[in-house]
Amino acid sequence: MLHIEALHKAYGKVAALQGVDLDIAPGEIVSLLGPNGAGKTTIVSIIAGLRRADSGVVEVDGLNALSRSSRVRRCIGLAPQDLGIYPVVSVRRNLRLFGELAGLHGSLLRSRIDDVAETLDITDLLDRQAGSLSGGQKRRLHTAIALLHRPKLLLLDEATTGADVETRGHILDLVRSLATDGSAVLYSTHYLNEVETLGGTAVILDRGRVIARDGVTELIAAHAVPVVEFTFEGGVPDHIEYDGASTQGRQPMIDGDRIRVPTHDPARTIAAVVPQITTGRLTSLEIVRPSLESVYLALTGRRYDEADREGAREGHDVSAS
Amino acid sequence: MSPQASLSILRHELRLIVTDPGTVIFVILMPLLMVALMKDLFAGELAAQGFTGANGSEFAVPGMAVAFAGFGVGYAGFTFFRDHGWGTWDRLRATPASAVDILVGKVTPTVLVSVTQLGLLFALGGPLFGLRITGSVAALTALIIVLALALSAFGMLITAFSRTMNQLNAVGSVGGMAMAMLGGAWVPLTAMPGWAQAVAPALPTYWAMEGFTNVILEGGGMRQVVIPVVVMTGFGVLFTVLAAWRFRFEDTKIYYG
Repeated sequence: MLHIEALHKAYGKVAALQGVDLDIAPGEIVSLLGPNGAGKTTIVSIIAGLRRADSGVVEVDGLNALSRSSRVRRCIGLAPQDLGIYPVVSVRRNLRLFGELAGLHGSLLRSRIDDVAETLDITDLLDRQAGSLSGGQKRRLHTAIALLHRPKLLLLDEATTGADVETRGHILDLVRSLATDGSAVLYSTHYLNEVETLGGTAVILDRGRVIARDGVTELIAAHAVPVVEFTFEGGVPDHIEYDGASTQGRQPMIDGDRIRVPTHDPARTIAAVVPQITTGRLTSLEIVRPSLESVYLALTGRRYDEADREGAREGHDVSAS
Repeated sequence: MSPQASLSILRHELRLIVTDPGTVIFVILMPLLMVALMKDLFAGELAAQGFTGANGSEFAVPGMAVAFAGFGVGYAGFTFFRDHGWGTWDRLRATPASAVDILVGKVTPTVLVSVTQLGLLFALGGPLFGLRITGSVAALTALIIVLALALSAFGMLITAFSRTMNQLNAVGSVGGMAMAMLGGAWVPLTAMPGWAQAVAPALPTYWAMEGFTNVILEGGGMRQVVIPVVVMTGFGVLFTVLAAWRFRFEDTKIYYG
């Protein structure tokens, strides 16, 4: 349904995408995971025809998406990262406009509005002014707009940002049900736990490059071992022996005031390392269990939340450019 | 291009106007008030030009109509900035509607508002101020339509060059007012300095006033307004071409700031 090959995009001197390849089959959920600034929104925007690629191939249902033709856009449903609704008209009027623009009219449009409203639990809100809804309700309307025409490819960009727990649950349930009905779903997020909850395929994006693509379970099995992270004040100790620390040949990583030790037996590692700490002051000790977090750490050498904050500071994703 | 998509956007834009009708009401009521205040000032000037029996509304009504249509120049742009502010601009662009569908759907309501505003002023000018239109109503209608189109196109041109709402407001308000004033809508050109009279023909508002004066005071018909209509159409085309050349759909526009 979606085929991306060697996609490149730069904003001035900042390379946002550096040769991204990505395929999604009908009925497949692909979670596009990456910290702020990884290039997720840029990919989604290019597929939706909102941004131009510098080079590469993007095909949707066999059609060249870079030509930005109306036929391609008819296959796509987009819920952008930022809320996009008309606050001064009713929920129904919002849905009606975008339904009409997607080619729906008359009784078909009315029944689709009822369907998406029911799915996202906004039926009782249809005649309310959109601007008067709560944040979570607005987010549900925002998502509903993308679903009206039952797109073959659904692009959800940070769909749960700012959403309450109930809305988040609705959206994740919806993603699964759409995939079951045959839609291909590209779900961009920087929340690791959402990707683990959704299951399916995860594509990890880092600094404009795909660094891993596989099922969530497979990724964790292939890349992740527990990591013990020692944080020091006043610098890391000069020399630590890792014999008996159960690292099985994996090299500890030093990152500023931290030492991260990959290990299959965190307790043995801690028991072996702590007695050797004679210089510096150990301020914290954390066991990072196998998860997408440790996959990211293993692949990039950086903690995901740190990379996320760093990306937010640099602000070089498309939303900030 | 899909007329259906343009029509959907147009209907939606009209609905948005109805939810906040204050601006439209203002641009209709204010010129009526201004005509009431100013028309007597122009009676003498018109008499000096040989239009004895004129009560001043023959200049004040078209003048204020053009002046306030000029104030509305920025409104066309406002609809684009507002969509950026609401996050709906990218949503519209991601639909199957083409760029032309979106532009037509968003600009047409502005033209309709302008035509309504101008039409109402001339229609109310008779009963309220004793305005007598001696020429062809069809010619007057043609002038109203091409003026509304030219000013909306000018609004699009300003929008294309503006990055922020503040820029649009500043250039739209001042530009619209200057265009109306230099075109002879606020005071008759004969009362303005020579350099202003020389500059005036370079503005669509001048040709609008020429055409309106012709129809209202000189009994002009379609034949007598051909030149103003053609020139204003030319301005409209020029503004549209320049706006299309400069307008970037993917540009970020900042709603306020």
